[in-house]
Amino acid sequence: MLLTNPSQTVCKSYDLGSNPYKPELARIISIDPMVEDNYLFRFRFEDPDLNNSFQYRPGQFMELSVIGVGEAPISISSTPTRRGVIEMCIRRVGRVTNALYRLKPNDLIGLRGPFGNGFPVEEMKGHSLLIVAGGLGMVPLRSILLYALDNRQDYDRIILLYGTRYPDHLLFRSELEAMMYRSDVECHLIVEKPALSPDTPEWRGKFGLVTDLFDDVKDLDVKRSYALVVGPPIFYRFVLTKCLDMGFSKDHILMSLERRMECGIGKCGHCEIGSKKVCTDGPVFTYWDVINLPEMI
Amino acid sequence: MSKPKIGIFGLTSCAGDQLMILNCEDQLIDLANAVDIRDWEMAKTNNDEECELDIALVEGSVAQVRDIENLKKIRKRSKILVAIGTCAVWGGIPAMKNDVPRDIMLKEVYGDKVEFIESKAAQPLSSFVKVDYNLPGCPIEKDQFLQMMASFLNGDMPEILNFSVCSECKMKENICQIVYKQEVCCGPLTVAGCGARCPSHNVPCSGCHGPIEEVHYDAEAKMFQRKGIKPEEIIRKMQVYAAPAWMPEKLMEELQHESK
Amino acid sequence: MKVVKLPKSKVEEFLSSLQDFGEVIIPKEKTEHPGVYYFDVMENPSEMAWEYLRTIIPPKKYLHKPREVIFKFHKEQGYQEVIEDKETKRILFGLHPCDIHGIKILDVVFNRDYMDPYYYARRKNTVIIGLSCLPDEKCFCKSMNTDYVEDGFDLFLSDIGEDFLVAVGTSLGDDLVAERAHLFSEVEEEDRRKYLAFRKKRNESFRLELDISDLPYILDLEQKSPIWDELGKRCLTCGSCSMVCPTCYCFNVYDTLNLDAKSGQRIKQWDACLFKDYALVAGGHNFRENRAERVKNRYYHKQFRMVEQYGKPSCVGCGRCIDACPAGIDVVEVLTKVREGSYVTH
Repeated sequence: MLLTNPSQTVCKSYDLGSNPYKPELARIISIDPMVEDNYLFRFRFEDPDLNNSFQYRPGQFMELSVIGVGEAPISISSTPTRRGVIEMCIRRVGRVTNALYRLKPNDLIGLRGPFGNGFPVEEMKGHSLLIVAGGLGMVPLRSILLYALDNRQDYDRIILLYGTRYPDHLLFRSELEAMMYRSDVECHLIVEKPALSPDTPEWRGKFGLVTDLFDDVKDLDVKRSYALVVGPPIFYRFVLTKCLDMGFSKDHILMSLERRMECGIGKCGHCEIGSKKVCTDGPVFTYWDVINLPEMI
Repeated sequence: MSKPKIGIFGLTSCAGDQLMILNCEDQLIDLANAVDIRDWEMAKTNNDEECELDIALVEGSVAQVRDIENLKKIRKRSKILVAIGTCAVWGGIPAMKNDVPRDIMLKEVYGDKVEFIESKAAQPLSSFVKVDYNLPGCPIEKDQFLQMMASFLNGDMPEILNFSVCSECKMKENICQIVYKQEVCCGPLTVAGCGARCPSHNVPCSGCHGPIEEVHYDAEAKMFQRKGIKPEEIIRKMQVYAAPAWMPEKLMEELQHESK
Repeated sequence: MKVVKLPKSKVEEFLSSLQDFGEVIIPKEKTEHPGVYYFDVMENPSEMAWEYLRTIIPPKKYLHKPREVIFKFHKEQGYQEVIEDKETKRILFGLHPCDIHGIKILDVVFNRDYMDPYYYARRKNTVIIGLSCLPDEKCFCKSMNTDYVEDGFDLFLSDIGEDFLVAVGTSLGDDLVAERAHLFSEVEEEDRRKYLAFRKKRNESFRLELDISDLPYILDLEQKSPIWDELGKRCLTCGSCSMVCPTCYCFNVYDTLNLDAKSGQRIKQWDACLFKDYALVAGGHNFRENRAERVKNRYYHKQFRMVEQYGKPSCVGCGRCIDACPAGIDVVEVLTKVREGSYVTH
């Protein structure tokens, strides 16, 4: 399957003559600690016109600049169907994100993008979505989950399987737990072990691995479905097998990869693997792409 | 926001790195305005030798017994301790003669009766205390120093360069000392930052910034050997600034094995 | 294509007159190192090294700069674009076919999908005047099909003895000729014969050969070949090969902060896939942790990935990396060994 080339569709803001390297000023609206070292930041562009016209696709990423420190690629966790605010769940992991964690609401940062292909929302229309997340994999998948729910008529069944090691690490926990009571989405959460911290609300759900949740998925017509799979390397090894066992064809399994996407526009070379540039050909790839590219996972 | 309190110190050293700070003439006033220099014996009077410091910049290697005490005292009063200069980061020139027993060396240099100095094998600061950041160079580069200070002022750790002098040398479009002159040039082993200062003056790199993280001593030594240079000379030139203690002996073994 | 004739006796006058257009860049010989060449601004046409071989760094340095400030920033005001040499009109004179092919590849990389405004601003103000050459023992452009250029230049000078044949490649090139019409004359029958003789002589002068037929497929089969580990043991990962490569375009972006801790510059600087931190991501995972993987990546990028992405390899056979590698790693030797399946340890 050919994933849509973003430069022809989404990134209209980068016409000839504009500078795709130029970060636009954005303001931090709020910072909500979600789990340890993983906060949800909300941003708004300073330029109101840009903020209103800003469009993106679930699964795309932005380049975030902490002014004076540097730039880092960050997935978008919000959905383009809810305009005005960009949400990013950002892990404190490197020099730039450490500096970001020192900032406060109302501080200014730089944002440019969106970059990457994103999930093929058009091609997936009329299909069921099996969204499988492990750990931090929920970050880009939350965008497509909310997007699909906001365009509910376009998709058949929407199923989320999400697992982490501890309940302390579940991202968007309250939001997802609320979804368990909705009839238009099948939301299954699982953790391996009880909560680490006494501050974490007690876990009353299932214990086990995310692969155990596949048993809860009944009567899925895999020929009319896409599996969207994001998680750590070990997670892929088992989840991909499960998807193949279910009968998914390799080009209906979609994954989002992480690399050092420095320029975001296919120039700097850092994220190239095999014959692909993760920043422009990805970050969303089909499993078929991945098995044909050495060094992919 | 209050200015960060700074102390600048020298252990056993030539004071060249402290001098480079003073040599930042165009930025010295900006620097003095941005920080509160509390303790700098070399450059000012009325030093506060006890106060707590946000940043301590320490030059020199630990080559005397009293250096250890001084260093530990500095560490105790500082939030961030920075090793400045190759002596502080790697041991530097003083560590070159670590294989010679101290009493013999003292005799050679100072004659029979030496009581004022308790010499010991030269070692970097990191052998004794936690070092938060390393700024190598013999001496340090002004630009790198100022950039580092700016990062600290912003609350960040400065970035660490992890590529060799060769790339900077090529960007300057110098002729390659190895390819064209068959010289033992330490450029491929040595961390960048100097802008290929020596090769730009047609002199091979002597490795004064110390090795890159993933240094390839044996590949480099064998390369020189293939060019017909004697193992003794290769090792002598490669060990000047920052070779680990095992390097000369192991390399010699390797090179002798190779030549058979 | 229009072709005219320029007598060698008038070529210096032609070079001088080009300064009316803008800065003229020519290959010069290093005075202290005979036989070593570099591109630099022409002050006097007599500095032109007509017989030069290859320069240390290719002319890409004028389009994709080794190091350039791309933004000035301030914490309250954001990022302000800086494009160095934006208004400089420049003529790159004396480029050999391999270097023109190199620029053609950079054009595709930097201008396709997204426009790189830094490259583009300088590229559109650049005139390219090519010059024919004779190969040495490190040239293998003939094997890479980059020994001739059909486009990518404004003018191209071929040496036929007493004169140059000047191929006119663009409308701008035609203007440059028209404005200096008194220097040029018509091509005659004898000139054509001389050109064909020159061409024959040149074709026969190549001593280095590389068979690139089916190479991407062979490389794909040799992903696990022991040669990559052998190379990993020899390569110093100094990055010299990338710096001197006409088609290596990788760069790194970083910020330098001023002492006010508020303002500073964002800088774009050449990077190399051989460097340890090249594929390192925040959090510490390195996708190409060891040396052999990185060396291998360079070969696969040039000969495999670029063929898949852009339809041709991104090696132009200029021989610079052979010249620049302190460890003596030779791209032709490596790829020949991969094809033959013969890996001899050094």
